[in-house]
Amino acid sequence: MGALDGIRVLDCSDPKGHFAGKLLAGLGADVIKIEPPQGDIGRSYGPFLDDQPGPERSLYWWHYSAGKRSVGLDIDSADGIELFLQLAANADVVLETCQPGRGRPFDPFALAEHFPELVVLSLTPFGQTGPWRDYAWSDAVGLALGGPMGSCGYDNIPGAPPIRPTEHHAGHIAGYFAATGLCAALYERQQSGLGQHIDIAMHECMGFTIESSAPWALYEQHPLIRQAGRHAGPQPTEPWQYPTADGRLINIFGMPRSEAGWLALVDFIQERGMGGNLSDPELLDGRKRQLGLQQPTVAMMLADIAEFIGAHEAEEIYAGAQAASAAWSIIRTPDECLDDEHWHARGFFVDIEHEERNRTVTFPGAPYILSRTPWTHGRRAPLLGEHTAELLCGELGLSHDELGSLVAAGVAQ
Amino acid sequence: MTDSDPNTRPPLDGVRVIDFTWIVAGPTCTRLLGDLGAEVIRVENEQTLDSIRFGRPHPNGFQPPDSSGMFNWLDRNKRSVTINARHPDGLDLIKQLIRVSDVLVENYSSRILENWGLSYEEQCAENPEIIYVSLSGFGHSGPQRDYSTWGPTAQALSGLTSMSGLPEASEPAGWGYSYLDHMAGFTAAAAITAALKHRRATRQGQWIDLSQVETGMALTGSATLDFTVNGRRYRETGNPPGNRSVWPQAAPHNTYPTAGDDNWIMITCTSDAEWEVFCEVSDHPHWRSDARFATLPARLRHQDELDENIGSWTAGQDGRALMQRLQAADVPAGFVQNGVDLVLNDPQMNAREWTATRDHPVIGAHLTDGLQIRLSRTPAHRDRPGPVLGEANQYVFGELLGLSDRQIDELHANGAMG
Repeated sequence: MGALDGIRVLDCSDPKGHFAGKLLAGLGADVIKIEPPQGDIGRSYGPFLDDQPGPERSLYWWHYSAGKRSVGLDIDSADGIELFLQLAANADVVLETCQPGRGRPFDPFALAEHFPELVVLSLTPFGQTGPWRDYAWSDAVGLALGGPMGSCGYDNIPGAPPIRPTEHHAGHIAGYFAATGLCAALYERQQSGLGQHIDIAMHECMGFTIESSAPWALYEQHPLIRQAGRHAGPQPTEPWQYPTADGRLINIFGMPRSEAGWLALVDFIQERGMGGNLSDPELLDGRKRQLGLQQPTVAMMLADIAEFIGAHEAEEIYAGAQAASAAWSIIRTPDECLDDEHWHARGFFVDIEHEERNRTVTFPGAPYILSRTPWTHGRRAPLLGEHTAELLCGELGLSHDELGSLVAAGVAQ
Repeated sequence: MTDSDPNTRPPLDGVRVIDFTWIVAGPTCTRLLGDLGAEVIRVENEQTLDSIRFGRPHPNGFQPPDSSGMFNWLDRNKRSVTINARHPDGLDLIKQLIRVSDVLVENYSSRILENWGLSYEEQCAENPEIIYVSLSGFGHSGPQRDYSTWGPTAQALSGLTSMSGLPEASEPAGWGYSYLDHMAGFTAAAAITAALKHRRATRQGQWIDLSQVETGMALTGSATLDFTVNGRRYRETGNPPGNRSVWPQAAPHNTYPTAGDDNWIMITCTSDAEWEVFCEVSDHPHWRSDARFATLPARLRHQDELDENIGSWTAGQDGRALMQRLQAADVPAGFVQNGVDLVLNDPQMNAREWTATRDHPVIGAHLTDGLQIRLSRTPAHRDRPGPVLGEANQYVFGELLGLSDRQIDELHANGAMG
């Protein structure tokens, strides 16, 4: 049983809301994706199965839509919106991502008023109000305007631009605010019996997701310097990423803070015949090891550490440093995570059957383990319109002939 | 409806959270809960204070533990009580607090609470309905549960660091801040609100075991599936792609320099229609008919020339004016803003009153930032500044736990508090 068991979500979102919908499905909600009859645009996002594009071959879609149902319905048409409103009468949540001035199929405030128990969540780039509310948007434009990108980049490549981390993070960030807001509203509804409208501006979600840039701006109006592979800061700091003998990179940010931890790390390095300067008694003082202050003791320490890392293989360094209580890490690519037994032992990766293809696909799994209401991986992502008849005929009572006419008219799929 | 109408109270009104968090990940979670109306009580110990209480900036001078702007930003809307969990009487106070609370959140290393005698089972002995959240690097199971992380460590291990950077660089740019501290905190907040909803219906609490690295790996779906389905390793195709877009396919899709020092605009044409409008607006209509740029496949093949041409056009132009010009023609374009821009130069944020002035006993008048979850009937709030250390001791020990002044003095004298 999921935490949102029994909650039905009508999900009219485009890619901005695909992650939000996925989180709700994972929490056990019955998420019904309302797709345009020609298919959600996310079905055209690669990568694709065997690199062949096609609406049922998008791996993006497979990931973000697993566990949802699909109804192909043109809610911009009169017949389509009529059926949508009938579905909404039996739903708990409507998730939508239309910008207010861009010809949206329904007014979310009016919908929330019409169905007093319904929670309507609008997840849009800039919110329901303000001069930018209808600005043209993409995930990258969102990350540029919202602040995250301004902190990412290189200090060691002249003229390098700020860098946008890839993989739809504006949608990831806002998706969590959407899920939290919806769960909180549903919790409140259990007592009051009332729904409401929730306005989430992705821009504002990102404005919080910039860590120390925020307080430096709020209190000092002080911008931060972008630096390769480490935190932007008010002043330049020492590098954290160092190449290994096997062509990988180690991040050394998590230096031990206790003296015992430090001595264990020094032992680990010196047992391998390196790091002579690490015995310098000054380094026993934790303050002399503190990164970020451009201290000569730190420069000496990092020179020895860089030399050690350059002479050893990544996995050996990672395991040895962690055993010595240093929170160092390997900079892994996503595929390399599958080689780590720890995540398999925790059951992170999950296999989902794609029965019509007669194959099992391994997915990244739950972002949390809920002991009583486990994450629902659900079925593979729905085929376009796979559940149209189930909902429109099975629940709303349309005959199969009527549905056939709607399909012929391009209203349903 | 009026303010006294219970149906307008913030949604988590009446929820009490025991907050054993520190640094950034845990406090991010409990800030969201506090904004949504939960009563969040930070349990602190004077011997092992949250290092963020010393973190910069200190807008009114360095006067720890109550002068940090970073702390005040992350910990608004919370209360603070000082208890020494390693003292037997202190542990007993925590157990009393568990009995009158709904949620306990911590982001310590994975054996700390267990060592104190506060495992989930021991918490349940005090309050079977408690919702316990452990937010650690590797989770509370598996062979590496004793490994530790910071935000940057977790980002590196999850794959997210490697997915941000220029293809020709010898190292990724990664993230210029602890993205996964925020994201793990958000994940915890979503899980807690879901668990509260479940509990209200069933009276069942639960344990939420959260691994920061897993919260990151859950965000790498397309890249992970490209490997598990197509067998393609991430770096095989020249990744990371800089500011270009691999999926969805789009070109132009990049940052371009604008007038001034280190100013940039992101321009993304996600369709041929947007590209055609862009050519008109940029006074380069001939780009449309240039065989190298006429179609998306052609533009993708000639991105170097495309980006060079566009960059020559944007260079020297005012970035904000350029953004408005492109936006007026409905081309997705955005100036690359930093935190200061969001606070001072962002008309959208201003129109939605993203900042507000608040007061703090040590920091003084200051700006606090916005609410992200705008509920129409039960709005969230940002009324209370971050707590001065121990400001809620009397409230918690006297009012919530019902101890007499004499008992409080004794516990203070014997080291259980403080």
